[in-house]
Amino acid sequence: MSNAPAPVELDRPDAAQEQDPDRPWLAIVWNDPINLMSYVTYVFQTVFGYSKSKSEKLMLDVHHKGRAVVASGAREEMERDVEILHSYGLWATVKRDD
Amino acid sequence: MTRIRKSRQGVVVELDDQEAAAVRALMEQLLGLLGDPPAPDDELAALGISDSAETPDDPVLARLFPDAYQGDGEAADEFRRYTEMGLRDGKREAARTVLSALDDHTDARGHVRTVLDEKQSRAWLTSLNDLRLTLGTRLNITEDRPLPPPGDPLLPLYAAYDWLTMLQDDLVNAVH
Repeated sequence: MSNAPAPVELDRPDAAQEQDPDRPWLAIVWNDPINLMSYVTYVFQTVFGYSKSKSEKLMLDVHHKGRAVVASGAREEMERDVEILHSYGLWATVKRDD
Repeated sequence: MTRIRKSRQGVVVELDDQEAAAVRALMEQLLGLLGDPPAPDDELAALGISDSAETPDDPVLARLFPDAYQGDGEAADEFRRYTEMGLRDGKREAARTVLSALDDHTDARGHVRTVLDEKQSRAWLTSLNDLRLTLGTRLNITEDRPLPPPGDPLLPLYAAYDWLTMLQDDLVNAVH
């Protein structure tokens, strides 16, 4: 990902509490009327290394359900993923699992 | 007439003089929209951190740099403060990669034939996408958009948007 900005470590005092494995953080991609289905699939394959079939399934979830969880894990990792997705022009957000 | 195909050397992109001029003009507008890089003596900026953290008022900039948190303004602002400058740099660099390819591979008639390696292909794809996000947001593009009425002053922009869509789709299919 030579094109992507370097990740920035944020100093959060409650980092330990935020790493509750039962409530991971999520990277979510939202449907929008502009991004092409072929391009969104390409981005999932390129950014996450997902297979073509997994990437297409996620893309179709975004398209039909309005959004899809594309990754989960520690907050910093999800923020980094969302930053990279923004560099590709996808509409992505971070959220803690309910 | 645009032609995009995969070859052993990379992805071959051919544009006629009008198409090349259109891509150049649009990329220059995108660079204008993205603004200048920060001054070299700005110490926070040197670390990739911005002073301001507000969601941009311009709907196009708000789409290019969306809030990363919904319903948590503080977290969204903090994310923006630490990421937006780097994201702007990346988008500027990608647009400049496209412009250099045009500069270096235009013949006497204004036609372009360039072969993109993997990194250049990615720059073209993300930059064409930024252009489509920019035009599409300005035109309020929706999933089932109706055709613009004949004589609509925005018709050339719709045509540019549709042509960029075709170009980007051909490029994705050639890269991938």
